[in-house]
Amino acid sequence: MSKVNALVLAGYGLNCDHETAYAFELAGAKATRVHINSLIDGDVKLEDFQIMVFVGGFSWGDDHGAGVIQAVRLKTNLGEKLKEFIDNGKLVLGICNGFQTLVNLGLLPGFNHDYSVRSVALTFNDCGNFRDDWVNLKVNSASPCIFTKDMDCLELPIRHGEGKFYSDESTIEHLVNSNQVVIQYSMPNGELANSAFPYNPNGSVLDIAGICDPTGRIFGLMPHPEAYNHPTNHPDWTRQKEELKRQGKVFEISPTIGLRIFQNAVDFISNSNR
Amino acid sequence: MLNAIIMPNRLEITLKSDLFDAEGEGIRQKATHYFGINLSQVRTIHVVTIDARLSDDQLKKIQTEVFTNPVTQISSFKPLPVEFDWTIWVGYRPGVKDNPGSTAVEAMEDILGAKFGPNEAIYTSKRFCLKGNGLTAEDTDKIAGELLANDIIQQWKIFSKDDWDPETGIGFIIPKVKLNHIPTVITIPIDSDSTLKQISDERNLALNPNDIPIIRKYFLEENVQATRAKVGLSDPTDIELEYISQARSDHCNHNTFRGLFRYHDLAADNLELVDNLFKTCIETPTLTLKERKSWVVSVLWDNAGVGRFDQDHHYVITGETHNSPSNMEAYGGAITGIVGIYRDPMGTGKGSKLIMGSYGYCVGHRDYKGNLKPRLHPRRLLDGVIEGVRDGGNKSGIPTPFGQVFFHHGYMGKCLVFVTALGIMPAMVNDEPSDQKDISPGDLVIMCGGRVGKDGIHGVTAASETFSEHTPAGHVQIGDPYTQKKMHDFLLEARDEGLIAFITDNGGGGLSSSVGESAMFSNGCDIQLEKVPLKYEGLDQWEIWISESQERMTVAVRPEDLKRFLELSKKHAVESTVIGTFTDTGKLHISYNSKTCAYIDLDLLSSGFPQWEFDAHWQPPDKRGLFEPVLRKPVDYETLLKDILARPNICSKEWITRQYDHEVQGTSVIKPLVGTGRDVNSDAVVLRPVLDSNKGLAFSQALIPTYSLIDAYHMTSCTIDEAVRRLIAVGANFEQHIGGVDNFCWPNIQYDLENNPDGKFKAAQLVRSCRALRDICLAYEIPLLSGKDSMYVDGHLPGRYGETHKVSALETLQFSATSVIDDITKCITMDSKMPGDLVYVLGTTGNELGGSEYYEHFGYTGLNVPRVMPEQFAPVYKALGHAVGKEILASAHGIYRGGLGVHLALTAMGGNLGMEVDLANVTVDDVDRNDKILFSESAGRFIVSIDPKRKKIFEDIFKDLPCACVGKITGKPDFVVKGIDSKIIISVPVDSLKTAWKEPFKDLC
Repeated sequence: MSKVNALVLAGYGLNCDHETAYAFELAGAKATRVHINSLIDGDVKLEDFQIMVFVGGFSWGDDHGAGVIQAVRLKTNLGEKLKEFIDNGKLVLGICNGFQTLVNLGLLPGFNHDYSVRSVALTFNDCGNFRDDWVNLKVNSASPCIFTKDMDCLELPIRHGEGKFYSDESTIEHLVNSNQVVIQYSMPNGELANSAFPYNPNGSVLDIAGICDPTGRIFGLMPHPEAYNHPTNHPDWTRQKEELKRQGKVFEISPTIGLRIFQNAVDFISNSNR
Repeated sequence: MLNAIIMPNRLEITLKSDLFDAEGEGIRQKATHYFGINLSQVRTIHVVTIDARLSDDQLKKIQTEVFTNPVTQISSFKPLPVEFDWTIWVGYRPGVKDNPGSTAVEAMEDILGAKFGPNEAIYTSKRFCLKGNGLTAEDTDKIAGELLANDIIQQWKIFSKDDWDPETGIGFIIPKVKLNHIPTVITIPIDSDSTLKQISDERNLALNPNDIPIIRKYFLEENVQATRAKVGLSDPTDIELEYISQARSDHCNHNTFRGLFRYHDLAADNLELVDNLFKTCIETPTLTLKERKSWVVSVLWDNAGVGRFDQDHHYVITGETHNSPSNMEAYGGAITGIVGIYRDPMGTGKGSKLIMGSYGYCVGHRDYKGNLKPRLHPRRLLDGVIEGVRDGGNKSGIPTPFGQVFFHHGYMGKCLVFVTALGIMPAMVNDEPSDQKDISPGDLVIMCGGRVGKDGIHGVTAASETFSEHTPAGHVQIGDPYTQKKMHDFLLEARDEGLIAFITDNGGGGLSSSVGESAMFSNGCDIQLEKVPLKYEGLDQWEIWISESQERMTVAVRPEDLKRFLELSKKHAVESTVIGTFTDTGKLHISYNSKTCAYIDLDLLSSGFPQWEFDAHWQPPDKRGLFEPVLRKPVDYETLLKDILARPNICSKEWITRQYDHEVQGTSVIKPLVGTGRDVNSDAVVLRPVLDSNKGLAFSQALIPTYSLIDAYHMTSCTIDEAVRRLIAVGANFEQHIGGVDNFCWPNIQYDLENNPDGKFKAAQLVRSCRALRDICLAYEIPLLSGKDSMYVDGHLPGRYGETHKVSALETLQFSATSVIDDITKCITMDSKMPGDLVYVLGTTGNELGGSEYYEHFGYTGLNVPRVMPEQFAPVYKALGHAVGKEILASAHGIYRGGLGVHLALTAMGGNLGMEVDLANVTVDDVDRNDKILFSESAGRFIVSIDPKRKKIFEDIFKDLPCACVGKITGKPDFVVKGIDSKIIISVPVDSLKTAWKEPFKDLC
């Protein structure tokens, strides 16, 4: 069976391309870091890939709203190709700045499979500042999202200044009813954060941390699964190791729950290739 | 069309009224906290002024598709009717880097498919709408000038509700640079030393008077004059003298450290001549150690030092300061500093990928209420530098996992902003060692990255210039991480294709330094200055040559590689320009439109310029009247401990740490904040820079300038010892690999009866500090991979009567340490782990409270400064390494500022578990008081906790070493200390200690 090809966008101030590609490699994909211009110039062809990743970073410095200019550039130069890519049942993942770009492109929420409308936004954190912290996340098992299949909760780092998920009530209602709300900020005990800072780090409406389109094949989230690519990325790993030692167990380097998101994507493609 | 007048358009954008305006709310709160001005509401409006020829359709398109988020924002080409009592407009002065302005141009050119003309541009600015009962013009102007804008780089206007015209709004303010100047080269007469001196002063050349005769001698030599005549030159040109001035500056040449010191120990009445501190205390020890340490790859010549990480990778490190610019414009200075230091690893060897940065801020007290009027209040200054490094690091995609803040009055005169950068590179690039680089005659001189303006010319001396509407305020800069990130990605791709023969960064001195120094490798260059891309026309040749415009690298590329190099440059949207050729003529040859304007022998700089000389007078602390305070022992230890924990230099600064992305690149192993609450500071940080390897890179820094009040020798040795212990505490191996970086920040050491009466003492402190650096680095076997010095950390501050006061910084050394960790899964953190674990104190606690936090708390300095005794400490450090290797430690934490009491508390706070300790069990030397055991800052000590099952094996490792079991971790979350008289002197809930520790800055985030 041919390898799953993941395209990882790079350039223009994006900065999570290396570790995102690494995460996909660990999940068994062939990941290629591709400069936005190489895609636009046609040096690299989008149709050669089954997964497209919009990675974290500060595209164009995020100067006019996070992800806005990246969205404009891709829409202007690649609009049709992106639509084809989606229509062909392929996967799109947007992490942090990538999520911000997807909502500005209109690929999310993609109500009624209209992938051109900006109806949700990621705006400035209520705390008024960029924030780096680990958060607890609750996964909506009823969501069609491919990437979070068989997951119920996880911890990931967030690192953003514009992560507050916002939209009008009817849109939020629509998202909820169609189970497009995929992950929400929660308390360590698994209950929703209910806007409590720092569990909900940015004031997102309904603690929303990530959403998908109606097909579940386009997924955007603020937290960084690629930054949990190794057990030692977890803030408590030295404590976990000590606890294991006391039980006579060894601390093993096994795939993290962060990698599961990439694994689900790769498995989905491999299975549909069969 | 060319001559048609451009009608500018102004778009105002703001959040929908029902959305929370976090930026506005932040300003509202600061107005209250900082000035006691109560505002009911602040709303922010973003203003985009479009100075370009656009049709209405085009304007509509960019309004809706680029500048307005339909979900959150509204916008209008007319002033937005946002309510206010007063509104403040803040915009940049001409020539100040407007990063959002340039990205807006990129976006618009893309979406409109049209290029902007040379006279077309976009300028961004902001309008703040303030509401508040009885808000006055004075209040509004104070908020504008002391919170929102800095007159060095920004201009502002305030409007009251009544004098606001809803049609014209702020009007059209176009901060375009117009110089209307024909570039001219001026020939400088050198008929006498005094003439040249005078011109040097007039032009801010800052030529050292002692250099002037040598410079004149060169230009007066017959054969020099003859060869110069052939290219049409006679006396030196301004650009030539600027080149010499740059190359001879203390910044580029380290004249102070290479100086001759007459070191007079007054007590011993002994005079020594110390010739060249750099050679004797830094270069020689490092070269000696390089012989013994095979992991040292490249030191003492390149932009940064290089050490081996593993067989296939090297790591790169350097650090510097950006003090004066940050002191003038905190945000701009700091962001320029961090973005600038990142260019050094990029320009080391054939170029390295950035993997982390760190910060160190030394400022006056945040709540200073005294009479001195620094240009920026310490609080505002600190806010600014924090934000500058935040944006510079985060937007570069480089983690900033470590940093320090130190408050002291001495930094009111000038703050310190330390920035440190680490990179990694493959050991081999195209089968050539990546750390090596060379230039052959015929290689092309290429300038990559940003364009050149009047930025940073003559540094801050230009600050005294008066501003006119269109003169560029470029001397204080704003770094542009976005432009540099693009260049970083491009250069790494070019490196991996083997296209880079040589690379160095453009920092201080601009092209003059980068090209001038590169040219030494091929022994000559021909530069065509007119090829250098400019931000705006009208720069003189000498200005183009020495401008410090940021985000530029100078690269040597073989002619056959040029095509590919430029292709890659284009792909990454980076500007690269061939500005000349390297030669082997021995000459620095610069022309402008084919007319020669500089023609100098490169070896001029190595031709006997006089060494700087200093008188250094040392008087031992006791002879200077320092003594131990007469302080009887306290009773209320609980309040005392809480008060010490709440002191600014001890307390939590989580609000800063969390603003910095410390996990980008996915390499984080040991984070800056650890423990169950993820809120207590780690001793050091560890990265996994090569994602598919389990090797780690550990990094730490230390800074204890207070000890300089007693003796800079011990300040230095204790600082190095702390940095080393910080590494060991997370699992670094003391015997295998410790690398160091020294960053000196010193007040002026040149004696002057009027202006620097204690200059001789400060010079002696520098000599002693350098000797400690040499002694400890040799004893601990730490090669100095890199280092920098920044002298003249003094300031003259106006007081309340119009008088001014000279305020000098403490003699300060920041020491950075690195280590390579073979197996990151053996790393440990400082937080207590399990109830029942045994708590040990390693090392000896002596009567060493001189310069301690405890004494400072009472306003004392004291005399008994802590001392480092390598022969006693090293065996403990080695033993700890063995214990780490055997994985028998549950936690390890060094004992630093604040002493045993503070650091036991932090260990307990980290685990949110209780602790019981008995001070009677602590290994002491000549200490018989609880307060001294708790707060002595003796070096060489650790707190470790272990599983009781490991007691025997642990104690065997530390047999015959100072290692005492002082207590245990408990489930009941109380911190209980039994005094030497076996009475309980402290028994408090651990969370009450944590509350006290977090109290001072708890409202900041």
